[in-house]
Amino acid sequence: MGSRIRENVKHFFECFCEVVPPTDQSEPWIIQQFPDNYKDHEVLKSVPKFAYPYKFTNDVIQHYSFVLTDVEGKWTFGFCRHDPKSETAIVVLSYLPWHQGFYKFLDTTAVLMHSSRTEDLREFLTAVYNTKIAEPGRVFSVCFNRGESLFSVDIPRPFQLPSIPENRNLTEYFNAVDTHTMSLIFASMLFERRIIFTSKKLKRLSACVQSANDIIYPMIWQHIFIPVLPMSLVDYLLAPMPFLIGVPEEVFKQVKRSEIGDVVILDTDANTVETPFDDLSSLPQEVVASLKKQLRNKQLGDGVSRAFLRALVQLIGGYRDALKFQPGQKVSFDPERFIETRPLSLQPFLREMLHLQIFQQFIEERLMMLNTGQGFSDEFEFEIEGYSAKSGSKLKQQYKEWTTTMKKEGTAFFKSVKDKANPAMKSAVKTVKDGGKGVKSAYKGLRSKLKDNQAPNQLENGLDGGEKHRSAPNSPTGKRRTIAGLSAPVATYRKDAALALKNSAMQRSYSPLSPSSQPMSPDVMESPRSNSPIEIPQIDLMNEMEDLLQLRLDSPPVDRSLKPVRSLENFKNTSPLNSPDRWSKTRASAPVASSPNRFFLQNLGHSQETQNLLQSPDDVFLSPPSVPPRARDREPGGGLFGGGGAPFVVGGGHSENGDPLFFVANRHSVDIVKLSPPTHSPRRKQYQESEDLIRLDSSSDIDDFDPLKSKSGERKVPLTISNPLYTYENGGISNQSVQQQQQQQRNDQDLLQEYGLTFNFSANLQNRSGFEAFGSHGKVNAKSQWTKFE
Amino acid sequence: MARDYDHLFKLLIIGDSGVGKSSLLLRFSDNTFTGSYITTIGVDFKIKTVNVNGQKVKLQIWDTAGQERFRTITSTYYRGTHGVIVVYDVTNGESFANVKRWLHEIEQNCDLVNKVLVGNKNDTPDRKVVLTEDAQRFADTMNIKLFETSAKDNINVEEMFLAITKLVLKAKLEMQERQNVTQNDTVNLRKTNKQGKKKNCC
Repeated sequence: MGSRIRENVKHFFECFCEVVPPTDQSEPWIIQQFPDNYKDHEVLKSVPKFAYPYKFTNDVIQHYSFVLTDVEGKWTFGFCRHDPKSETAIVVLSYLPWHQGFYKFLDTTAVLMHSSRTEDLREFLTAVYNTKIAEPGRVFSVCFNRGESLFSVDIPRPFQLPSIPENRNLTEYFNAVDTHTMSLIFASMLFERRIIFTSKKLKRLSACVQSANDIIYPMIWQHIFIPVLPMSLVDYLLAPMPFLIGVPEEVFKQVKRSEIGDVVILDTDANTVETPFDDLSSLPQEVVASLKKQLRNKQLGDGVSRAFLRALVQLIGGYRDALKFQPGQKVSFDPERFIETRPLSLQPFLREMLHLQIFQQFIEERLMMLNTGQGFSDEFEFEIEGYSAKSGSKLKQQYKEWTTTMKKEGTAFFKSVKDKANPAMKSAVKTVKDGGKGVKSAYKGLRSKLKDNQAPNQLENGLDGGEKHRSAPNSPTGKRRTIAGLSAPVATYRKDAALALKNSAMQRSYSPLSPSSQPMSPDVMESPRSNSPIEIPQIDLMNEMEDLLQLRLDSPPVDRSLKPVRSLENFKNTSPLNSPDRWSKTRASAPVASSPNRFFLQNLGHSQETQNLLQSPDDVFLSPPSVPPRARDREPGGGLFGGGGAPFVVGGGHSENGDPLFFVANRHSVDIVKLSPPTHSPRRKQYQESEDLIRLDSSSDIDDFDPLKSKSGERKVPLTISNPLYTYENGGISNQSVQQQQQQQRNDQDLLQEYGLTFNFSANLQNRSGFEAFGSHGKVNAKSQWTKFE
Repeated sequence: MARDYDHLFKLLIIGDSGVGKSSLLLRFSDNTFTGSYITTIGVDFKIKTVNVNGQKVKLQIWDTAGQERFRTITSTYYRGTHGVIVVYDVTNGESFANVKRWLHEIEQNCDLVNKVLVGNKNDTPDRKVVLTEDAQRFADTMNIKLFETSAKDNINVEEMFLAITKLVLKAKLEMQERQNVTQNDTVNLRKTNKQGKKKNCC
């Protein structure tokens, strides 16, 4: 299997370390660790090197990550926090790639390290270590500070594409380099080059390398992957194999360029790429053209990720046509067929792709998913559905038949899954075995499980039906399983001994800083109280991000469309929403179980919708999305809301992750619309108020028309039309007080009204029922085949 | 700066984990004191300088972690290397099966890579499951040399590394010779290969 992320992770983190910086006389070293029974000496030996990859001075709090690779090629993530006010760095090692969550964890830890009560830190670490990891989409929360504070992290949902600015890595990458550079690197990764990123900033370096890998999803970099290369390992740049290595500028200065041979070098500070290859021009030009177009159109939210994902759909989505289903045999992949069924213009490149490790592993992984009865359930497959509905239903049919045969023959194919997978997956598999029809209910079951887990005070009432499932970890490198095994660490915290060591070893002591001089960690903690033993500052998690974004706004030559004006445009162009009646919405009355679901066996609805789309191509493709009446008109039978007046807002609330929701009344129904208004920052307020809002209705969409975009739009009913600025602040922080929420709710409503009139929330009920009819076999429209896009 | 070698070759060592790649490297290399990073960054290399026909050849031998997860190791992996040392464990049939598959892949896609086949752990006859005859027959069909080694007992290790070094050096010298012959030609020698039809990925 291709994933390099470990499955069945038991603990939120594996080891927490405090690292003393190097001096002229000594190497960096670990002064204390938790739990004490973490004994991987090779890893512990490496941690200081990665925590201080070179000697540097730090003026600001800096977070970055590094990656260790074990003998099986699996990754362990190290998250570091350097604070100018602290003499040590703190590092947490985990198998989970949840960057945002771990940076938050480190910030919390940093505060506790300076607590007057020395037990606080150990208690916190113990609590987090022993807390079972919640299911994807839920919140991992741990009480600490004797119940006074709450640490919580949103567990990334499977298959969620990284979006800007929620995903710090991608946002950093996007801010550091332009989309053309991203495309160059993307292309070089598709040729499996030896690739070096450099930067003066560790934070930028690690984020860019991580994001570069995220962007080739559903493939995963299979070669050497070192987001931050310590000085001591500089010789590893001589490796003759493909690699993706982040080299701090100081380290790169030590490199003799002539020795390392042909490499692609991205300077992330200067946004320049030095390459002896012509990789981007060597990609099929139709793919490059549509990638460029998409990147131009949509950048916020998951626009960037999705643009690259679609390029990959165009390139390799056709692997489905090369799958061989033979009763009694495992599903297999026929490379020749894969080539032959593709458009001629793609064939030469695809022939090369067969020789990529990243592609081979991708195929292996898909075959494994099929052969173990997991089916497909990720963003890539859904994107293919949008691209080629026929291929989707055909594959599904074949798979269903194959599954049935396998069941009849009583083979033990699925057994292995049951042995491996988590309970939820087991039950899904069991249902597959019980018959094709049962799969639906299994997945429904999964979904209702998710729903059941929602906090009661949330207003969204199962809104997250289909939407939540397809969301994913910030680096979609694999599926995360959360299995609960708990093992109590037998950990004694040697703080005293460690402190003694510290004092003997260091000139300056590490005595805890007074509360007032605590580092302003950009983190959020639950309800700081005056009588609390720890004064936990209310800090803005977005600090760093804000800087970035402001920078973006402030630098005129680089217009990357972060201005609210464009970002609103982005809303509309964001993939699923080419037409306003596809604004994310869910009928309040819709039972959860029939909400759109994005799992594999429910795609029939998609093809049906696609068909509808295709039957009225003019309406769909040519009407500017922002002209609601036309959109309504094309609904068969006038549509439920066809004759309705302007919808109006009747109420509001917050979704589970804090995104504002609105109840929008139409003539016959009440829809729930999740809309993220622009942030409340005064600066952006200015933009919001600018007259440019009108540009929402500009007809640029015709130019930007792209069949990919339009078709896929039809099958999605996303809940998040994110104004990422807003959702980041709220979404990342789940522990806000009710009062705050209410306050925000009011603000949201005000904002909605500000905008509300320019939007139309008319529902396309046809779409909705299309989703809900996933059980029935939709007719397949020939137009929806791949070849259409040649 | 004066180079301390006449030739520098980068070699790869491939094979399942557990077949003794690291031991072979350790046994052979000069810099045994540097420790291993295979368990922390998933890649490791060792250096050794050898003398072949009076020429100093510096070898870098590279190893990466988790190769057994690949059904095939694709040609991009070999692209930058001069030679490949393919290792299986004579006491482990599966490791031999993997190696056969990988060699076929190299054969199909980058036939210019010099390679040797190595059956390691050849020190406990009663545990041996991959018979010499079978391995030799396979090596013959692939037209490569077979060495049965024991890193533990230091049997045949030096010979094996010398053999691959000679192969690579020979290939280089031949190429230079051809280059001299056709030096006024515009033929790109990197694209030329012996059989003229297979892809060169080096």
